[in-house]
Amino acid sequence: MSELKPIFNALWRSKTGALLLVVQIAVTLAIVSNAAFIIHDRVTFLNQDTGLKDENLFRFNLYTFGKNVDIGQQQEVDETLLRAIPGVADAVVINQVPLSGSGDSTSFHLKPTPEQSRGARASFFMADEHLLNTLDVKLEDGRNFTAADVVYSEGFEKSASVVLVTRSHLLDLFPEGDGLGKTIYLGDNPFQVIGIIAPMKGPWLDDEQADNVALIPQVMAAPFKRVLVRTEPGRRDEVMQQVEKLLLASESERVVSRITGVDKLVLEQTSQDRLMKNMLLVLITVLLLVTALGICGLALFNVGRRTRQIGTRRALGAKKSDIVRYFLLENTLVSLFGIVLGVGLALAMSDVLMRHYSLPSLDNWFILYSLAGIYLMGLVAVYWPAQRATQISPSIATRSV
Amino acid sequence: MFVHYIDLGWRSLKRTPVVSLLMLLAIAIGIGITMTSLSVYHMMSVNPMPHKNDQLFAVQLRTMDQGVDWWTPDDLPFQLTYQDAMNLRKSPVPFRQAAMLKTGFGVKPANPDISPFIETARAADSDFFAMYEVPFAYGAPWDKAVDLQGEAVAVIGAELNQKLFGGGNNIGKDIVLDSVSYRIIGILKAWKLEPQIYDLNNGAWGQNEQLFIPFSLLPIQELKSWGNNNGWKYEEQKTYQDKLNSEVLWLQYKVELADKQAQQDYRDYLAGYIKEQQQLGRFQRDDAEGDIKNIAQWLDYRQIVSDDNKILVGLSFMFLAVCLANILSLLLAKFLKRAPEIGVRRALGASKTQVFAQHLVEVGMLGLAGGALGLVIAQLGLYLLRSGFSRYEAVAQMDLAMWLAAPTISLLACLLAGCYPAWKVCRTTPALYLKTQ
Repeated sequence: MSELKPIFNALWRSKTGALLLVVQIAVTLAIVSNAAFIIHDRVTFLNQDTGLKDENLFRFNLYTFGKNVDIGQQQEVDETLLRAIPGVADAVVINQVPLSGSGDSTSFHLKPTPEQSRGARASFFMADEHLLNTLDVKLEDGRNFTAADVVYSEGFEKSASVVLVTRSHLLDLFPEGDGLGKTIYLGDNPFQVIGIIAPMKGPWLDDEQADNVALIPQVMAAPFKRVLVRTEPGRRDEVMQQVEKLLLASESERVVSRITGVDKLVLEQTSQDRLMKNMLLVLITVLLLVTALGICGLALFNVGRRTRQIGTRRALGAKKSDIVRYFLLENTLVSLFGIVLGVGLALAMSDVLMRHYSLPSLDNWFILYSLAGIYLMGLVAVYWPAQRATQISPSIATRSV
Repeated sequence: MFVHYIDLGWRSLKRTPVVSLLMLLAIAIGIGITMTSLSVYHMMSVNPMPHKNDQLFAVQLRTMDQGVDWWTPDDLPFQLTYQDAMNLRKSPVPFRQAAMLKTGFGVKPANPDISPFIETARAADSDFFAMYEVPFAYGAPWDKAVDLQGEAVAVIGAELNQKLFGGGNNIGKDIVLDSVSYRIIGILKAWKLEPQIYDLNNGAWGQNEQLFIPFSLLPIQELKSWGNNNGWKYEEQKTYQDKLNSEVLWLQYKVELADKQAQQDYRDYLAGYIKEQQQLGRFQRDDAEGDIKNIAQWLDYRQIVSDDNKILVGLSFMFLAVCLANILSLLLAKFLKRAPEIGVRRALGASKTQVFAQHLVEVGMLGLAGGALGLVIAQLGLYLLRSGFSRYEAVAQMDLAMWLAAPTISLLACLLAGCYPAWKVCRTTPALYLKTQ
């Protein structure tokens, strides 16, 4: 450790260069730790389990403009046609599509309006008894609805009387966990909870109540409907190509549009998060590279500048490993200052981000990981110049004096 | 002299090719990353009608009952109910005003070769076209009388005109929307208003409608909203009339106010309107009020530029700062190594200013070259954004301001970084170096 003092003195003599390196390391640490934390946050969000096998699902819109079409009857015909396509597992005409980024949600209550009572918001899917099978979601408790439960209507003039819900929604309404079989209300329409389904996401992934889902056995005959189809694995593309032709052959006064895989809808919905993740990844990679090059470049210059000094040290008996150690120690000293400053900067930055941009508070582990990473990177970056320094011949000391 | 400095700079850069290349790459990558995120930010935050910023206002009313909160910072919903829109339309204060709604139709072209398609449409009042300066190629908006009566007329965009008729003047022809015939009375020139300031509910880019019909057709054709419907209480809606009478918020309302006086008058008018409605039993809350926001305020309020974009811009400027610190230390090392040579130049009569200028020119060359290379990197970054994220197609672009900003930022940043090293080297004492030669 006796080398520390001369190293420090040498640094002090060219303090501008050392100071710049300290600042570089500090800012790099602040950026990398915060960015890595945001990336981790987004990756967790992007990799969450939706409860749905979206690669087997696709949807399309069906818009009937013909005024003479019996929409209710045509919907039944369409479903029969779709379910008969080879490769189709099941299909339903539905009010909204899970994971699509747009849809409807509403609050269910324990008592009918206008009485005040506990309520919980859920996204609701309305279709016939094929709904659960189309979603390919398991029933965890109770019973599925049957054809006899399904109500066919024009609008809200009639209402179904049973509902399937996710456990998360039921627990919001009945925190004791005894909700199965109880009655909940949409306005003043009663619904008996007949079953609990396995966890699945509604239309929005970033919704606070993304896990609250209700399935209602009701089919409304409206000009604008969505259709959700589940195919056997690997057969989705061939089915998607047949749909439009098949349905228009049955009734031409309508438009089939936006035939899209549900996995694609998820990608669209999460594009902002994926973009952020990718941009930050590029940013910190390049940043680390630039900082490493900076460290390396400066060390190279120092080697050049200190040629005679190093030669003299070698002539006086310093081993090659001593020379390498000198550079590694010098880098450690600079890194230490940079890291102390950087930790403070990282915390301050996280504070600003949290206050202005509603980001979660920085996990201190990320500072620790980034700190270790940057220090190691610095050592690697300085190693090559240090190796070059060992090539300096001791005879240099005798030559030019 | 300047040319001579450029020559000297070029020689100096060539003499240390590795360091020069490192510095060039550092500045280019810094500028490339910064310009990529800055361009997206710039395009997102652009005000498409700055000249009418203080004339076009969005109207909001806090209509919910006591105890019902909205998720906006000022507790005001974005949209209006039908009854409020109909009432506000009677106000004499605004110079122009328009209630509107995003809707849509199945279009069945007369030409049997074109299969039916879906077209989103905007139901709006006739003032809409003048308020947003929508250019007409043929025809004109419908009369004010139509705003009161409701008549099946339509204005179509250039693209739709091309698709249906192959272009040309088709005023007087019919377009069949959901089996109802509408007479075409106007055809627009190619027109784009982005971000789409008149309705930011369903995305701000690439959504300008190609089909416009009178707002007064709502009760006649029972037009559905293809945008957002926000309810805050349970209401039975068995018929379309139920929806028109409901408290559902589903319409956009914009006014054009000529000056400050008109703005004050309109605020007073809204306050009066709320009092009047409270007497009728609506707006049952203590802090019922209305507000108007101009274009810039509205864009900011609707958070068109997401937090993520702002964070990215901040981070990339910090990144640029690291690149500069990097360049600064490399320049310092490089210039100081050259001190003996400078000592000789100084002894031969070069002034401090000349030495300083010579080095700044060298740094400036580096800055310009780095800026140019940075532009290439930024273009690549934006290209990757456009191809990977369809949402960003409209905003992952560079306009003229950004093209100019890149070399400017690069040059300024480099000169800033070069000042200290150049100053340091020009203070070289000639005597010191002459001795050792």
